[in-house]
Amino acid sequence: MFKKVLIANRGEIALRIIRACREMGIQSVVVHSTADANSMAVRLADESVCIGPAQSKDSYLNIPSILSAASLAGADAIHPGYGFLSENAQFARMVVEHGFTFIGPSAELIEKMGDKVTAKKTVQSLGLPVVPGSAGALESAESGLQIAKDMGFPVLIKAASGGGGKGMQIIREEGRFIEAYNTARREAKANFGDDTIYMEKFLEKPRHIEIQVFADSHGNSIHLGERDCSIQRRHQKLIEEGPSPVLTEKEREYIGNLAAKTVGELGYLGAGTIEFLYENGEFYFMEMNTRIQVEHPVTEMITGIDLISEQIRVAAGLPICDAALKKPFRMRGHAIEIRINAEDPDTFIPSPGLIKQFHAPGGLGVRFDSAIYSGYSIPPYYDSMIGKLIVHGRDRAECIARLKRAIVETVVDGVKTTLPLHLWILNQPDFVSGDYTIHWLEQKLADR
Amino acid sequence: MKIDSDAIKELAKILDDTGLTEIEVADGDQAIRVSKGGTVVAGSPFAAPAAANMSYDPSTPGQPNMASDTVAHSHPGAVTSPMVGTVYMQGEPGSAPFVSKGATVKAGDTLVIIEAMKVMNPIKADKSGTVTQILVGDGEPVEFGDVLMVIE
Repeated sequence: MFKKVLIANRGEIALRIIRACREMGIQSVVVHSTADANSMAVRLADESVCIGPAQSKDSYLNIPSILSAASLAGADAIHPGYGFLSENAQFARMVVEHGFTFIGPSAELIEKMGDKVTAKKTVQSLGLPVVPGSAGALESAESGLQIAKDMGFPVLIKAASGGGGKGMQIIREEGRFIEAYNTARREAKANFGDDTIYMEKFLEKPRHIEIQVFADSHGNSIHLGERDCSIQRRHQKLIEEGPSPVLTEKEREYIGNLAAKTVGELGYLGAGTIEFLYENGEFYFMEMNTRIQVEHPVTEMITGIDLISEQIRVAAGLPICDAALKKPFRMRGHAIEIRINAEDPDTFIPSPGLIKQFHAPGGLGVRFDSAIYSGYSIPPYYDSMIGKLIVHGRDRAECIARLKRAIVETVVDGVKTTLPLHLWILNQPDFVSGDYTIHWLEQKLADR
Repeated sequence: MKIDSDAIKELAKILDDTGLTEIEVADGDQAIRVSKGGTVVAGSPFAAPAAANMSYDPSTPGQPNMASDTVAHSHPGAVTSPMVGTVYMQGEPGSAPFVSKGATVKAGDTLVIIEAMKVMNPIKADKSGTVTQILVGDGEPVEFGDVLMVIE
């Protein structure tokens, strides 16, 4: 087992990893920018190393800095968290070249799944159903238009090097195609440094259903059930729940086993998530995230498995724990997570600043994963998520009631948060009935 | 109490052979329990977070670390480290240090070398002046922003 793990991340996920390390008796060293010198993660880690100024590109994305820090600290392994360098194949490669263990899959697999075009082709050859679309990258506006006409509008153009919901364009009619094609190319280049784009059929009423998968070096490749992440705004998830209110046992078993099998055949190691669009009983592969996800606590609450701890165990060469390997796979109760952002709940304008007073909710089945504290200043340099409230109940109804109760108890004074928006969503009849798609929230907000 | 070391050795061997983590045997009012460390290590002492947190604070021997560091940080002539690495005060082991306390430096003079991943990075003075404080020692690790020296 590792003696010391370096955490190359910040905020709530850095804290999450520190917690797992501490429970396992592993020393934790966290890297941080100057802006995060007073963060909870820095205060609670066993050691910390300041690696750069506030700007991410000079700190959390600064590979040489992070590797130097790992050398100086004498770390055995590096956990990249989510975002930042977690899906950077070059980083994963360099971590290994410098003699550290990268807590995640191989650089080759990160690369393969990071390119959305290659990923789709790979999983398709392994038998996963995919969204119908261009067989690969779009060559020209004219050939793209022809493919779109053959598939039928509406279509969606996506950046091959995109992800996390960024770099997508919906085209509903032929007449707008060329213009949208050119815009997409330009934006892809500007945002991801790569103007490769591909096209998919645009599904009108899909749900986003993702499967948590795990593989170790002892031949185990499993799934830990699904999360329904259809409550989104501009392709960013706001609320995630598990199990999905719409899947049948049969569908769950089918897609779970397929995902587990795929991960095994890929030669994967560690935690991963396979994201699908689900419409009319059909699943369509969207992308695979080769890292731990923000919403991993939803799965932890309904399975009782500590996913970060499992990531560390598997990276150290141990098998997945027995509890997770138990068959048949069962989920217990229902869990919902809400992502709390420091934003105006109506305009979504970011609201960084000083949190004058903070009080976390409590009680049975209530979990608050956050790095904020009373007197903490939210830095303006990073994303606006300040915490996750995850609630578990014996069934979905109890879970929703408990979550509403917990939201009302939560105090974040001094900055605006999206807590009121979450409360509003939980009171919507469509949410209560489970009848929502990935377009639901935006449509509802537009009507408000 | 008489310790039956043969029994304990035998139980320990059984643990190894079978892969079990704990065995307890009892005979009348005497019992022996042998257990192997599991994967979860409980009982690591929880030091108070503030005390346990060690960031790399370079200090010259004999100087109170915290005091000099805090004062130096806000000094307008403070030269701070632009990177993470190991400080070397001289070009090669055995050669003279680049600067010493009291030395005069011009803009562009090398003050120290910071090594990271086997690459040597010379850190140069951005203005002229006199070195009034040196806060790092040869071979010490530095973080981004650590004060290396003060030039007035």
